[in-house]
Amino acid sequence: MKNSKMIGIAIITVFGLSMTACSNQPKPLYTYGNYSESYYASKKDVNSDTALELQKSIEYAIENAHESRSGRVAPGMYANLGYIYLKAGKTEKAIESFNKEKSIYPESTHFMDRMINKITVAEGK
Amino acid sequence: MKNKFTILLFTIASIMLFTGCGATYITKGTAFPKMYEQQPRSILILPPMNESTDAEAKDYYMTTTEMPFALMGYYTFPTEMVSDIMKQEGVYDTEILYNMPLDKYYEYFGADTVLFTRIKKWDVSYMVLASSLTISIEAKIMSTKTSEELWKYTGTVVVDLSGGDTGGGIAGLIAKAIVAAVNTATADYVKYARQANGKILYTLPAGPYNKMYMKDQDVKLIDQSIEK
Repeated sequence: MKNSKMIGIAIITVFGLSMTACSNQPKPLYTYGNYSESYYASKKDVNSDTALELQKSIEYAIENAHESRSGRVAPGMYANLGYIYLKAGKTEKAIESFNKEKSIYPESTHFMDRMINKITVAEGK
Repeated sequence: MKNKFTILLFTIASIMLFTGCGATYITKGTAFPKMYEQQPRSILILPPMNESTDAEAKDYYMTTTEMPFALMGYYTFPTEMVSDIMKQEGVYDTEILYNMPLDKYYEYFGADTVLFTRIKKWDVSYMVLASSLTISIEAKIMSTKTSEELWKYTGTVVVDLSGGDTGGGIAGLIAKAIVAAVNTATADYVKYARQANGKILYTLPAGPYNKMYMKDQDVKLIDQSIEK
């Protein structure tokens, strides 16, 4: 009787400890979701399905950025998305994404401006 | 029973003692002072140089670098987009990339630094009684403004892939545990490449988006400069 009580307490303690461990875990700086995995999958099997999965994971990372410690979209995510739009011929959406990358990370300004400039020149605007 | 436990403890303690002896430690501040002087904000990750026997290692390894360097607090340029643009410019060949004047990267991308990675090993070696997977990565950050090397570190992961009877004793038990973990994803090299990255990344001074920025000079790491 005494023994089973002890075991019970032990189980509750261990359970409690594991729970606190979970809640105390610091939030990551950025939300990536399964970006890294789907990026790898898209290299391993190059096809439209894996490419779509990669796009979805990028969109997920952007939509859930507020859950991260920084609250910001991770570096390169908007640029990645913009590049996917660009390859699909959606130039307006591409420019919009490149501008977002720039507004979050000024470090990307030079590169993003170069991309936007290329698009506008190509379109003769 | 008690005796066996004592032997086990003794073995673990002596292993720890021996591995401890082999390494010399150095602080981040002493090892990489130029990172703290130049305080770069962004890293342009270039396609890796593949020196391994596996032709696919280049494409696969490339998918593992963006995330950890961003999490260390740097602005990382989107790797896929950058490598695509390099290809369009006719410079996907890493030989050319790695010999290009570094200020070109500042000119084109506005990047403060460039990350060169070298896949030194990415293979399974088969021996009579065992086989093991070795992944070894050398990473190096170069300034695009001064062309100086700011940071360099190598990470190696060796995974025992031996199946079947691994023999008795403690070594056997440990080997069996590793086999069990590996069998679920024997071919998944990328998982171990990420581990190798982990061994490299802890030595990198934190970037401006990390709360440890300019506060981690005293963090210790294993000194690799005296090995060779």
